[in-house]
Amino acid sequence: MIENFLAGSAALFGDPFTIGIFVFGVIGGMLFGAIPGVSMLTLAAILLPFTASLEPAQGVMLFAVIYCTGTYGGAITAILFNIPGSPENAPTAFDGYPMTQKGESGKAVGAAVLCSAIGGIASALVMMAATEPLANWAIQNIGPPEIFALVFFGLAVASSVGARTIWKGWMSVLIGLLISTIGQDPVGGINRYNFGLTDLAAGIAFVPAILGFFAVSEIFVQAERTAAGKYKAPKVSMAFPSFLELWMHKFAVLRSILVGFFCGILPGIGATLAAFMGYGEAVRWSKNKEEFGKGKLEGVISSETANNAATGAAMIPLLALGLPGGALTAMMVAVFQMHDLQPGPLVFYTSPDLIWVVFAAMFYANLSILIIGVIETKTILNLLKIPFQFLAPLILMLATIGAYISRGLVLDVIVMFLAGILGYLLRRTGFSIPGIVLGLILGTIGEQNFAQGMQMVHYDLGTYFSRPICSVLIAAGTLTLLTSVYKAFAPAKKPA
Amino acid sequence: MNRLLGTSIVSVFLATGTAALAFECVRPEASFDKPDGFPERALTMVVPYGPAGGSGQVAAAMAEAVTELTGVAINRDHKPGGSGTVGMTAYMASPADGYNVLEHIDDASSAHALDSSVPNPASDLIPLVVSQVTFSQIYIRTNEDRFSDWPSFVEWVKAQDGKATIANVSKEGSMERVTMKFITDASGMTIQQISFDKGAPRYGALLGGQVDALFEQPGDVRNFLDAGQFKPILTIFDERPGVFADTPTHREMGMDFDPLLRFRGFYVHADAPADRVEWLKWAFQRGYCEDSYQSFNESKFMTVIDSYRDTDGARELIDRSVEQYRDVYKAMGLDVK
Repeated sequence: MIENFLAGSAALFGDPFTIGIFVFGVIGGMLFGAIPGVSMLTLAAILLPFTASLEPAQGVMLFAVIYCTGTYGGAITAILFNIPGSPENAPTAFDGYPMTQKGESGKAVGAAVLCSAIGGIASALVMMAATEPLANWAIQNIGPPEIFALVFFGLAVASSVGARTIWKGWMSVLIGLLISTIGQDPVGGINRYNFGLTDLAAGIAFVPAILGFFAVSEIFVQAERTAAGKYKAPKVSMAFPSFLELWMHKFAVLRSILVGFFCGILPGIGATLAAFMGYGEAVRWSKNKEEFGKGKLEGVISSETANNAATGAAMIPLLALGLPGGALTAMMVAVFQMHDLQPGPLVFYTSPDLIWVVFAAMFYANLSILIIGVIETKTILNLLKIPFQFLAPLILMLATIGAYISRGLVLDVIVMFLAGILGYLLRRTGFSIPGIVLGLILGTIGEQNFAQGMQMVHYDLGTYFSRPICSVLIAAGTLTLLTSVYKAFAPAKKPA
Repeated sequence: MNRLLGTSIVSVFLATGTAALAFECVRPEASFDKPDGFPERALTMVVPYGPAGGSGQVAAAMAEAVTELTGVAINRDHKPGGSGTVGMTAYMASPADGYNVLEHIDDASSAHALDSSVPNPASDLIPLVVSQVTFSQIYIRTNEDRFSDWPSFVEWVKAQDGKATIANVSKEGSMERVTMKFITDASGMTIQQISFDKGAPRYGALLGGQVDALFEQPGDVRNFLDAGQFKPILTIFDERPGVFADTPTHREMGMDFDPLLRFRGFYVHADAPADRVEWLKWAFQRGYCEDSYQSFNESKFMTVIDSYRDTDGARELIDRSVEQYRDVYKAMGLDVK
């Protein structure tokens, strides 16, 4: 492995043009990941035709690098302005933005930089060591019932995040789940709640909903504070997390690497579920669940470690089996095909050089996050010094463009503003925006896999429990649910 | 080593087979005068699916070919969702000036068959070219030991008492669901269809043994065929294509129905200026002949049968499909409007 890695590194850095492509991918991915609405997918779609004129290894490597750095890029705007660059950065905003408001932006961004790099490097190393056996294990043991059970397990802790009471937490999750049912059902294609509007048949897209719930509702909240003379600009802090603080979260990092890796390896799932599950597990294992959603460093660490850990893992089914884990890895298939190559088991025999250039590039791209991230953070944090009256219209403009640009539908802009108004009202009354977003995103994934799983087990719910992984996850999720209900009813301890 | 050798042989066989069967391009004119300077700016191509799927890729390949040929840029506007209805609605609302073209698949025909208020691609639009036509097959894992061919598969499925599974895209009224109805009715078996809307989980489900079989088109699973992981046991087409000479057709297996084909093509508004439409027809039909497009189609197994239909041929294909879908929808008891 080390020999191959060194050979891949030599091929990557032995040619100035290849180095140029690598650097372009690193910076382009970060930039497009950070700007809301445009994403690493936008950049990849623009670049796709040009990869035909590159060497196959250069083309695939470019996309792999964009995937790594683009997944990290959205964390910055999520933390500083409550605008997640893409859905996989949404859980980062849950605690990252409250940290900014508390004057701990440097700590949050520093943790995001470091943990993205750690998650990405760890998954790149596992990818290099065990791509083929891991891919085979995943497809043989994880099907729709297991993915549904995983989502159920993740949702079971969602009520604990950010709401004033556990009941409001559950209501928030249920609102998210309800919103996720708008549009065609994922199996039969039957329209639901679209009121005859064709555009709604496609459902509520994640990007405008997230922009509305996070960015627009935040603008309303801050505008209200400004009007009432209570607005306080967040303090700009350059203080990175100390080694001790990070060391205290070593188990959270390790856990998120495992969770992110597990989610990333599943075909068609990818980094979004990884980030939400990583965050959810942090909440589940914490003794102070009520602190999440209010500016807890562990929230940022868990989400950013998990989403980048999913990047290397998502390459495993792609390279070993030809099964892309998401839209960007699907575009990588197109890059392979442009060069008369097919990802899959044969590629390890037919193009080992290409594979190791890609592996090496992903390793160094994650390392670059650390280096470039530290340098850029010192500059980017100064954006917080922009007065709110200038910043708010800028954020609204970016969010509006971002909502429209992904599908070119005016409906998405309307959805964003409606989500903003709803989010504003619900926040005022103690409901949880993270809970709604968790419900929306996990609901969409969960419903599809539940329906497929039910078809698979011939509509016999009991059969779900005959699948070991599935039964363990459902049992653990149920236990979490019952525990939270018990705590809600249990009499409060009297102070001594 | 044996596996590698075996898969390489399959790859070589498939590659040579497809090359030998490549269909001739029929649009002879290498150039065509622009009517009153049209187009004097970039065209917009509405694609009702994402950029990474089959439609996204064919749209990119055709746009590249037309631009190579004419020098006119084409901007692709992806509007995914609602099984293609979102993109179709957006396209119908765009100006009918010839600058807006649409990529769509046979889902547009089946949607019109189910609900006649949905645009008919043969009459509410003008087909510029259909550039991909393909058939479907049933696949099993190559290392499957419970059955090895269609007769043994049917026998095994019948013994499972409805518990056997097949992965496909079985949305209400889809080509896959309709064809599966034809197959199950004709063979007297019951099989549970598991609907996966994305390719990767669908193929992973067969590879990992989560389902027993897969309904798919050969171009979409070419890498699994090349790698020797999937094996076709039934071709749903009237004759055996050369590269699948060992796989029986549904008719040979006693199933007497006209196969529904998967096709992807390009369209323009029916009321776009006629001279502009003629230029677009030339550009897209000739674009099909460009080397870049031909090699793209070859890589997708789209030269195994004739993938080319000009405007009249496309209309004939669409009309026949709509008629077939309508008949079967009525037989299935669906509410045909």
